[in-house]
Amino acid sequence: MVHQKGKDWQDGVKSDEAEFAEEADSLWRITLGPLIWALHFVASYGTTAAWCAKVATAFEPVPGLRIGLAVLTVAALAGIVWVGWRAWRQWDFTEDWDYVNKEGENEDRHEFLGHAAFLLAIVSFVGVVYVAMPVLLIESCR
Amino acid sequence: MSAISGDPNDIRRMSGREIADARAPEGPYPPTDEMLAEPMDPEVSRAQAERLRAAWKTPQGWRYWSAVNNSEVGLWYVLTAFFFMLCAGLLALAMRVQLAVPDNDVLSADRFNQFFTMHGTAMMFLFAVPLFEAISILILPAFMGARDMPFPRLSAYGFWCFLIGSVFVMGSLLFNAAPKAGWFMYPPLATQDLGIGSDIWLLGLSFIEVASIAAAVELIVGTLKCRPPGMRVNLMPLYAWYVLVVGGMIVFAFPPLIAGDLLFELERSFDWPFFDPERGGDPLLWQHLFWIFGHPEVYIIFLPSIAIAAMIVPTAAQRPIVGYSWIVLSAVGTGFLSFGLWVHHMFTTGLPALSLGFFSAASEAVVIPTGIQIFAFVATLMVGRVTMSLPMLWIAGALAIFTAGGLTGVMVAIASFDFQVHDTYFIVAHLHYTLFGGMVLPVIGGVYYFYPFIRKKQMSERMGRWAFWLIFTGFNITFLPMHLTGLLGMPRRVFTYPTGLGWDWLNMVSSVGAFVIAAGFAVFTWDLLRPKGHQPPPPRNPWRAGTLEWSHNIPEEAWGSRSIPYVDSRYPLWQQEKIVERMDAGRYYLGDAEEGLRETLVTSVIDARPVYVARVTGPAWITHLAAGFTGAAFIIPTFHIYWPAVVAGAFAVACIIYWLWTSTARIPETEKKDVGLGLTLATYVAGPKAVGWWGMWITMLADSTAFAGLVFGVFYYWTSNTAFPPPGADFAEPWLMAGGAVAMVASWAAVLGAREINRRGRTDIARMALVAAPVLAGLGVAGMVAALWLPDLDPTSHVYPAMMWVLVVWTVAHTIAGVVMQCYCLAGTIFGKIDPAHDADLWNTCLFWHFLCLTAIITALVTGLLPRVL
Repeated sequence: MVHQKGKDWQDGVKSDEAEFAEEADSLWRITLGPLIWALHFVASYGTTAAWCAKVATAFEPVPGLRIGLAVLTVAALAGIVWVGWRAWRQWDFTEDWDYVNKEGENEDRHEFLGHAAFLLAIVSFVGVVYVAMPVLLIESCR
Repeated sequence: MSAISGDPNDIRRMSGREIADARAPEGPYPPTDEMLAEPMDPEVSRAQAERLRAAWKTPQGWRYWSAVNNSEVGLWYVLTAFFFMLCAGLLALAMRVQLAVPDNDVLSADRFNQFFTMHGTAMMFLFAVPLFEAISILILPAFMGARDMPFPRLSAYGFWCFLIGSVFVMGSLLFNAAPKAGWFMYPPLATQDLGIGSDIWLLGLSFIEVASIAAAVELIVGTLKCRPPGMRVNLMPLYAWYVLVVGGMIVFAFPPLIAGDLLFELERSFDWPFFDPERGGDPLLWQHLFWIFGHPEVYIIFLPSIAIAAMIVPTAAQRPIVGYSWIVLSAVGTGFLSFGLWVHHMFTTGLPALSLGFFSAASEAVVIPTGIQIFAFVATLMVGRVTMSLPMLWIAGALAIFTAGGLTGVMVAIASFDFQVHDTYFIVAHLHYTLFGGMVLPVIGGVYYFYPFIRKKQMSERMGRWAFWLIFTGFNITFLPMHLTGLLGMPRRVFTYPTGLGWDWLNMVSSVGAFVIAAGFAVFTWDLLRPKGHQPPPPRNPWRAGTLEWSHNIPEEAWGSRSIPYVDSRYPLWQQEKIVERMDAGRYYLGDAEEGLRETLVTSVIDARPVYVARVTGPAWITHLAAGFTGAAFIIPTFHIYWPAVVAGAFAVACIIYWLWTSTARIPETEKKDVGLGLTLATYVAGPKAVGWWGMWITMLADSTAFAGLVFGVFYYWTSNTAFPPPGADFAEPWLMAGGAVAMVASWAAVLGAREINRRGRTDIARMALVAAPVLAGLGVAGMVAALWLPDLDPTSHVYPAMMWVLVVWTVAHTIAGVVMQCYCLAGTIFGKIDPAHDADLWNTCLFWHFLCLTAIITALVTGLLPRVL
């Protein structure tokens, strides 16, 4: 495969912008799972801190806060599942059963990013579930 | 599309689109097997090697210290960090002597406080973090067959800053003036501490943190943009993945601490009450800012060391790593999760139980990615044929100790258990298990592994095994009993203890163990530094490894790589036939230095396609001058003297401007050059393709994170005060604030317009825009300052005005930098450094101003509008 200047170089994705355009989704997706975890985490922590400081008194139950956080958690998990599903499709594992993706081809790079994003989605899912557990168990701010 | 000749005037007459086309690569890529198989003419190859050698020649004699090459700077950096590790180790020994028996008086309480503070501070800030940067600067280019890092002078500047700062901080011990409030400097103890210890800590370490961020920027850009052609993201050595993750973590973790340092020093120097509860402040904010930095920092230390393991394990097993994607997952996952753990250092501060629950849960969750990478190593070892080489022995010991530390980590992550052992020796034992297992042992393993590459000699196998067993057993003798000492209730940081509490024999055992560790380090240090002149050179690839660094030259060559290879596998030395032979012959890219300049190849981020040839900077003294003045600007205020510090800061800026003007983004003598294998690449690019633009982008990301830390402070005080702003407090003048922000936006528009107009060839109008821009910026900051000045907002009266002022001061300081850049561009258009086709400086200045414009708008909203609605 020999690229000459001109058309081939244009086709053969030469610049960062063009490359990002091709892999924009997947580059996003590799950190999208953990990013959702981070947003969920910050939102949970921030809301709780503000609620416990400004709304609730020390030992009073906080059902409103807990329901709000539960809704947030469900939304975050749904987002991560969507990300994971997209990544699974990109990984396309069942097509060639290749989970190593060690060759220097476009396809390998593409599927590798899908694989990494898929695994990160799983970890993020577990992370969100973990972080949400205190909401199930603890009734008040103290 | 127009082809361009060597004449730079041709390209100045083109439009932006034509320039981009003209600079596109020309020729075949990727290279075919036939092209690579074609032999090089030995005569040509020899002549090329001569020119390359001349271009990369390391300065001789006393000029040696002006070197900026990564192999020199990296080595100095490593040795300096190692020296401070030994110093901090000696402090630990002195503490163990003091604690060996009850009611001891070898050290006074005050000196003991200085010692434990400096032990922690030096191990963290002068050893662990700089060592990651040092090792990466030293070996990362070799992993990628690159010539050097993208900004060699920046590495050198970072190193000299680090050296000055760390000698200053460490030297304070000799004057009995060292910081003594513990390595995390909790207020109010540290804010009210008499003497200059806390100032030394704050200013000295801020200085070193800035150097760390500079190194992180360089490492990220190096990993993203200086990989060899063909090395796509799925082929990067795992070490490069870890560098990317850790660099990213530094960019987000260090700035909150710098923001905290700023608040802290403003309180100590000018009595702005950020941590004083009587005036609305809150000491807990420091704990938040410190640990938002401090916990990711643990992983910033751990991940690079485990990255070394990720290079040694496949070599020991003689097969590719099992689960490459899984390790990438664990590195990225750990990087994210580690930012959700910081409050587990603050479980006993009385935060809401729900909040503690979140952090406890996240602390348990981070075990998952951390565990995955260890399982991937074990799996690799199981399926390979392992030779228990000396480096592998250290890695095995590291995994054992780290796992033990991880298990106690799972225990203390549970808040209720932590309440029991908080601030006891149990924590001391836990953190030393994680840091020895997660950092010290793998790094020493790495030293043995990479020594033949770095020094072209080998260390002694026998002494290495002695050192290992001494350190390994000594470590367990010292720290295993500490778990029990802690459970029996001995608090950390006490300078002595009474007899009869059951702690006596445990402390004695720990002290004996400490000396066994010290003996191990003595053996290691001797082996590391002893003269090895008589030794025959080692084989080129002594461990039969598969990654590019083992294509190094013996005897040493300063060029990094004779020619930059085309890579299409994860372990090129195993999987690409004849690659070393072809590199040596200069068959690949940039095998020549016809112009006598230092050059390296810049490639695209994801697929590593060749983009352009970057001319990198060579030896210089200006970096030393710049570092010296920067150091003075940070060190002088320690003594509460300010004007000379401002003058030193101005000189530092002048040095940096001189350095940038004379050696970066210079207009090349030819627009394009042949880089070998028929490929022709541009020698100058501007904007997102250029490494300088990437450097600016990542720096500004870090800078914005620090700013976000300050804004977080505003909201934090809102939650911690019953009324914020306090009743009856004045508000900023809204119209002046809004006017200031509008002028700042106009200044941003002017600089952006200048870039676009200049591209279209109307340099005269661009110049006018660049004259208007600084004027508008000046009006902008004047408006913002006046908005706070005119009402009665006294920053020493309450934390609310202090917080408003600190945001405006931050914006003003950045605007000064922004104005300097605008003037630099103006001068560039006048003196021919910038023209329509060569506008990299304008691109970078615009990028800075995007961030500054956002900062100004947020500052205006938070100071002008927010207090009225809270």
